[in-house]
Amino acid sequence: MEISLPPLLSHAIVYANVISFMTISATLTLTKTKVPNFAVATFGTIGIYISFTCIKIFGIGLYPSLIFCFLGGGVIGVIIYLLIIKPLRRRGATGEEMMIATLGLDIFLIALLNIYADFLTRSFKIMARDFTLEVYDFKAGGIDGVFIVSTLVFFLIFVSLHLIFSKTNIGIALKAVGENPSLAECEGIDTEMLYVITWFLAGALPAIGGCFFPVYWIANPTTSYFVIVTVFSGCVLGGFATIYDAALGGYIVALAQTVLVSYLSDIVGLWILPYSFLVPLLTMIVTIFLFPQGIYGLPWSRLIEKWHLMIKRGGNMEG
Amino acid sequence: MVFPGIDFFLVLIIYIMIFLIITLSYNLAYGYTGIPDFGRAMAAGAGGFLCGYLPGRLMAYLMGIKEDYLGNVLIIVDKINVVLEKDPLMSIGLLVLTLILGAAAGGILGLIASLPLFRGIRLFYLGVTLLAIQISFNTIVYHWEPIIRGEFGVPIPDPFKWLGHYCPPNVAPSFMRLMGVIITSGIVLAITAYYCISVSRSPLGRLLKAIRDDERSVEALGRDVRKIYVKVMTVSYALTGMAGVLFAFYQRYVIGLNFDKVAWTFWPIAMVILGGLANNKGTVIGTIVFITLKRFIMFYKADLEFILPFSPVWLEGILLGTLLMAMLIYRPRGLFPETPEIPLSREEIEKLRKRT
Repeated sequence: MEISLPPLLSHAIVYANVISFMTISATLTLTKTKVPNFAVATFGTIGIYISFTCIKIFGIGLYPSLIFCFLGGGVIGVIIYLLIIKPLRRRGATGEEMMIATLGLDIFLIALLNIYADFLTRSFKIMARDFTLEVYDFKAGGIDGVFIVSTLVFFLIFVSLHLIFSKTNIGIALKAVGENPSLAECEGIDTEMLYVITWFLAGALPAIGGCFFPVYWIANPTTSYFVIVTVFSGCVLGGFATIYDAALGGYIVALAQTVLVSYLSDIVGLWILPYSFLVPLLTMIVTIFLFPQGIYGLPWSRLIEKWHLMIKRGGNMEG
Repeated sequence: MVFPGIDFFLVLIIYIMIFLIITLSYNLAYGYTGIPDFGRAMAAGAGGFLCGYLPGRLMAYLMGIKEDYLGNVLIIVDKINVVLEKDPLMSIGLLVLTLILGAAAGGILGLIASLPLFRGIRLFYLGVTLLAIQISFNTIVYHWEPIIRGEFGVPIPDPFKWLGHYCPPNVAPSFMRLMGVIITSGIVLAITAYYCISVSRSPLGRLLKAIRDDERSVEALGRDVRKIYVKVMTVSYALTGMAGVLFAFYQRYVIGLNFDKVAWTFWPIAMVILGGLANNKGTVIGTIVFITLKRFIMFYKADLEFILPFSPVWLEGILLGTLLMAMLIYRPRGLFPETPEIPLSREEIEKLRKRT
């Protein structure tokens, strides 16, 4: 049986999955290790090139390459932690210094990715810029494989993270480290190991997102420039607090950007497409001005109470 | 190996002066006040893009040209240049007016960019927001053709063309033009440097450092820290706006790709960090070192192609990224660490000591 899924919905959901992987990663590094990671979107580009290499050089399929993206991205995350973040943390670098260091890292990684793309083009005679991996996708009952796999992988990872953070000792220890690392160390928690785990996840999650990106969109070493505003916006909307808010923030912003701009382009014309970034930018500005703590800081209990009250009043009026 | 000629060094001086205006003003915001400003390119762009938008249209209006400006921009700017070449006073007037308006545009942008601070957001949020606004600003200018024709760009009227008439024998008119840019940049740089040095030696400078070191203590002493942040951002962006105007006038052409975040935000950050935060002397040295290095790499790009295992195009990113990270890890206070500013001269201190 063939199910026809509107391309817009499929694109919006895949984009939301990709962005949410990155917002979760950025929120994890900030809350657990106090590092505002400006290179998070480039971690996604690393994932793009890992899957590209797996497919084009080693002949591995698009989705089997996910495991290499996860491991490769994670290892790169750990290397970055050991070589850059750890020395900075040891000398007591401020948050602003960490920000600038990750900006430097971002520039460095983009240059490296460009060099790698040149190397692939020269050595293997393959087009390593402005490519898509659409032909490596499959269709299941009329639905694009990337839609099914990215959504399944996202929810699988999200549930796993939820279980790790709420049900295991590691998760509880990570929470303690995020709140007070010195106190956690006094309690005998191996903070170093937890930082390594966090940075493994911080590298692995965007890399997985990166694997799905080129199926629908053109990829190159500077792809991060096109998604970074959306990622930051998702993080700000989430409130840089928990993985749940980060995922929700990323999902809302990415869906709004894709659906709203597509809807508007039908009304006003295609000229609006290059300005799609205005949706996440405006979301970010509105969030900062109206509720700077993001979704996390909203008074949920009061809002739910009001909601119940409204429903009750509505019910009474009908009666 | 080819050695650079006199033009190379004149252009190098121009670049150093323009970037000194940016780094000194950036040092005021980040070095002294601790604002993680990642939107500096936007301030330079405000001046530079205004330069592409306004002087040409203004002159066309004054000259009574009724044609569509952007549609016939090449012909119209040629006509304007003919008038400016014959009229030094008008040229200087146009230059000064654009500089003032560039500063105003930069200042307004600085004011807008710092408004989130009134909501009491963390400085980290400001960094994220400014970076996002800057990327968006560049994308709008690049795609929205009514401003400066986006990726095609526009030529800019040349307020230094008249200097060609005062050319000594055996000297090319282009040399006089470059000298004109150097003198103008020198004047703006002198104003910027005087202001930044005065602030650093004044009670205001000490207040800014106090905010950077402990914002809450300063608030407890009754100072409105948010207002000070906004004032610093406005002034700092206004100064950078003038640097953008100077760069656009020097280039005589501006396109939507100019004033990108790497060259106009991240490089200045690296220059300030290399020299030393909250140290104007260090900032000057950091800027001179970085700009000289960058210009020489660009000059010898073709030769580097044979030495490097990769294209020299990516060398800039590798160098900038490595230097930023290495400086922050091994020498966070820069080559010239911050020293306490002495508000009085040594003679005055000696006099006071003798008196007591």
